[in-house]
Amino acid sequence: MTTAVEVGTELPGYEVPSVSAEKMKTMAALLSDPTAIHWDVETLQALGMGDRPVNQGPLNMGYVMNAVTDWAGGPDRLRRLRVRFLGNVLAGHHLRVRGTVTAVREEEGARVADCDVVLEVVDGDAVVSGTATVVLS
Amino acid sequence: MGFAEADLDGQVGRAFPGGTYTVHPWRAWLLADTVLAQPPSVRSAGEQVAHPLFAWMAATGAMGITWDELFSWFGATAADGPVFGEHETTLHRPLRVGAAYRVTGGIVSAERKVGRRTGVFDVVGYSMDLHDESDGAHVATCWNSIVFPRRDA
Repeated sequence: MTTAVEVGTELPGYEVPSVSAEKMKTMAALLSDPTAIHWDVETLQALGMGDRPVNQGPLNMGYVMNAVTDWAGGPDRLRRLRVRFLGNVLAGHHLRVRGTVTAVREEEGARVADCDVVLEVVDGDAVVSGTATVVLS
Repeated sequence: MGFAEADLDGQVGRAFPGGTYTVHPWRAWLLADTVLAQPPSVRSAGEQVAHPLFAWMAATGAMGITWDELFSWFGATAADGPVFGEHETTLHRPLRVGAAYRVTGGIVSAERKVGRRTGVFDVVGYSMDLHDESDGAHVATCWNSIVFPRRDA
């Protein structure tokens, strides 16, 4: 998988076919986050935000982590992730992570790849963009 | 009365109380499942790697103050609409299921800006370090920024 990595290599596509409102409820509990737009439709409607809960930013970031670590060989491969949050992800959205290798180099004795990454709503806008560094071997 | 730029500068260097966060096996399983990753086994006695999102979970979960308290340091509340700006996780070694991490950190930057469309807003940076309680090793750094709209500035 990582033997032929070079600048310009595109990471395999990673998709979330439909963002789950149920997972947002579990995440809210794990975070002790009382923000109701992640789980209460009545609150969303009162705020004029429709009826689709808003995914937590850390979950969106986590999908990007999954995409790069699945490609690199496991959750122990992530060295660095820097992201900018650009927009909201709603329940039911179909998401895709795209990534492209921008550098292959040595860091602290390991061969690493730097990648540009973006999380986007399929047929919509980018919602997270940034860079990731993963250990290749 | 709005939050003055001089008050903003005065918060840089302020430390969080900090705390300790443990990646309990139940937490590791539930978070991985929630973020659509492969959960680690809760029946395994061997060492297992935790999802890297735990760096952020630990950092913010054990900074020692609530989000409302952090907002109040900058004269704001959740109703003012503060939003996450950017985030950076740096992992010096993988996080482990079952491990406890000591969290320290604080405010590292604060800057007032003016956008053509957004008006006045403040960008506040805060950073936390995670140390493994078992051996003291520095295992991760989490840097974040929050954007505070300043409609009354």
